[in-house]
Amino acid sequence: MLLSAFEKVKLENAPFVSMGFFAAAFVMQLTAGNHESALYGSVFNGMFVSNSFTQAAGLVIIGCGFFTAMTCLTYFKQNNPCTMEFYSVLFFATGGMLMLTLSRELITSFISLEIMSLAIYILVGYDRKRVTSTEALLKYLLLGAFAGSFFVMGSALVYGGAGSTKFAEISSFISTHSAGTPLLIGGAFFIFVAFLFKVAAFPFHAWVIDVYDGAATPVTGFMATALKAATFTVFANFLALNGAMQKEWIDFLFYIALFTMFGGNLIAIGQSNIKRMLAASGIVHSGYLLIALVAISTESFSGSVIAYYLAAYSVGTLGIFAALSYLGGKGESRMSFDDFKGLAKVRPYSAAAIAVFLLSMAGIPPTAGFMGKFYIITSAISANQMALAVFGVISSILSMWYYLRLIIIMYFQEPEDTFEIENSIFAPACTFILVFCVFALGLYPIVI
Amino acid sequence: MFAEWLFAAFSILAVLGGIGLVTFRHPMNSAMSLVVTMISLAGLYALLSAKLIFAIQLIVYAGAIMSLIIFIIMFLNVRTEDLPEEKGRFLYLFGGVVVLAPVFFFLKKIIQSIPATKATILGDGFGGIKEVGLVLFKDWLLPFEIVSILLLVALVGAVVLAGKRRMSK
Repeated sequence: MLLSAFEKVKLENAPFVSMGFFAAAFVMQLTAGNHESALYGSVFNGMFVSNSFTQAAGLVIIGCGFFTAMTCLTYFKQNNPCTMEFYSVLFFATGGMLMLTLSRELITSFISLEIMSLAIYILVGYDRKRVTSTEALLKYLLLGAFAGSFFVMGSALVYGGAGSTKFAEISSFISTHSAGTPLLIGGAFFIFVAFLFKVAAFPFHAWVIDVYDGAATPVTGFMATALKAATFTVFANFLALNGAMQKEWIDFLFYIALFTMFGGNLIAIGQSNIKRMLAASGIVHSGYLLIALVAISTESFSGSVIAYYLAAYSVGTLGIFAALSYLGGKGESRMSFDDFKGLAKVRPYSAAAIAVFLLSMAGIPPTAGFMGKFYIITSAISANQMALAVFGVISSILSMWYYLRLIIIMYFQEPEDTFEIENSIFAPACTFILVFCVFALGLYPIVI
Repeated sequence: MFAEWLFAAFSILAVLGGIGLVTFRHPMNSAMSLVVTMISLAGLYALLSAKLIFAIQLIVYAGAIMSLIIFIIMFLNVRTEDLPEEKGRFLYLFGGVVVLAPVFFFLKKIIQSIPATKATILGDGFGGIKEVGLVLFKDWLLPFEIVSILLLVALVGAVVLAGKRRMSK
């Protein structure tokens, strides 16, 4: 499962090789048993635990890696060429994310988090010739290091409070004492700060727009989906370690979720660049996932709502970034709303695909996004968080504004551009596979 | 009593070194403040009777890594007039202090809640090479192993971001 391949093959073959590895990892992840088990329990001292939730999250992450490698193949034909190392760094990032989902121990989590972040920093700053890319790298690196230091401080306080960094032992400490001791509150707070930074929740969302804008389009897609999936998985695992712990933090997370949704919407409405709009809408989706975190029940924690929403969101976002990376043209010249005027007349299929992804993100049935939101709202209601459910619906209506705006521009305006693109089959193929996935995921719960 | 005074002195020195690291303008002065921080940290480890970590801190950090950093600064030959003008940096510093002040009070409150305990001298075996090795390779094998992946990523990243690009193909 933890593949970090470093193949000595030609540059043209590298994406195929990495796609092959991702596919193999996907199959392995799918066939691995989904019962609760500690991986190599005696050697690793139960620091890795896999269950059906981590399996689903792992599938999402590996899937993201696969489609990103596929998109890169086309993207790098019309943009600055990349080197071999790009794909190996992609693997390192994926490996770090998988370890993050599995880890049940704070130090292991921190190291996996840093593996993931370092790899992502490298991917963001890969194109050294572009100023925006370098700017994004610097901003992300400094703020990310700051968040990482918060995580370490939080772990130290938790260790001081509970006497262990293992989730299982912290949980047994909480059930005999209480989660309200100052050391535990402070420690958990700092750890939450680090997680909230990584998922770009409300007070820590400022970096996300510039960073998404500066990174290469496939990398942005990868960051927006896989990174969020990994961080939310470990966030949920940490929060669900004991019921008392979650109760302490419900109010805090309630307000964070609220501000994240509405802050993200306000930012998204004001954007004229598609990548920046998607970055802001990513903030909103983090808000929905935080609702799910508020509503998880720790007695029978399975994380199915979170995993499903992550899958639904990843498919939509990856799809639109895949489409953007082949429609973007040389050097990402087409990136603002106006550049996509009348796309439907020139390239009807691509426009239809983008429309499907946008509708899925807005939450229109029968797409995956609708089912994901539906589950989140119902779980919030069953956890007696009626207010949060109502705010979630309002925010999702607000978000229609900027999703539908792009659809209107694509369909109801006259084309000014001929949308010439490099002939390469992979990113379009990837886009259409993902369109299929949107519907398949949306219909999956109904069929079963 | 003496140990407590030493602890306070080392902690204050470490924090002062950290402040110096960010506020000095010339990189050489910053590097020297970092040395102060590193050595006071080594002192703190010695107070905890962690012999091995004390030695490693002195040899690896204060010795090897710091001399490398100073070497590089020497190679670059930075002069005061080469440095960019930083207008209003004290204003930014002040802003940062204001933003982080709540965090400071929060931490202070947490620290005050820790019950006072009497420090006791640990047994002879603590912190030696054998004990650290046993703990590291038995209980903490997994973090130890994945740190190697982390270092590999950092290495690849440094080569990718700073190395020469072959612009062929």
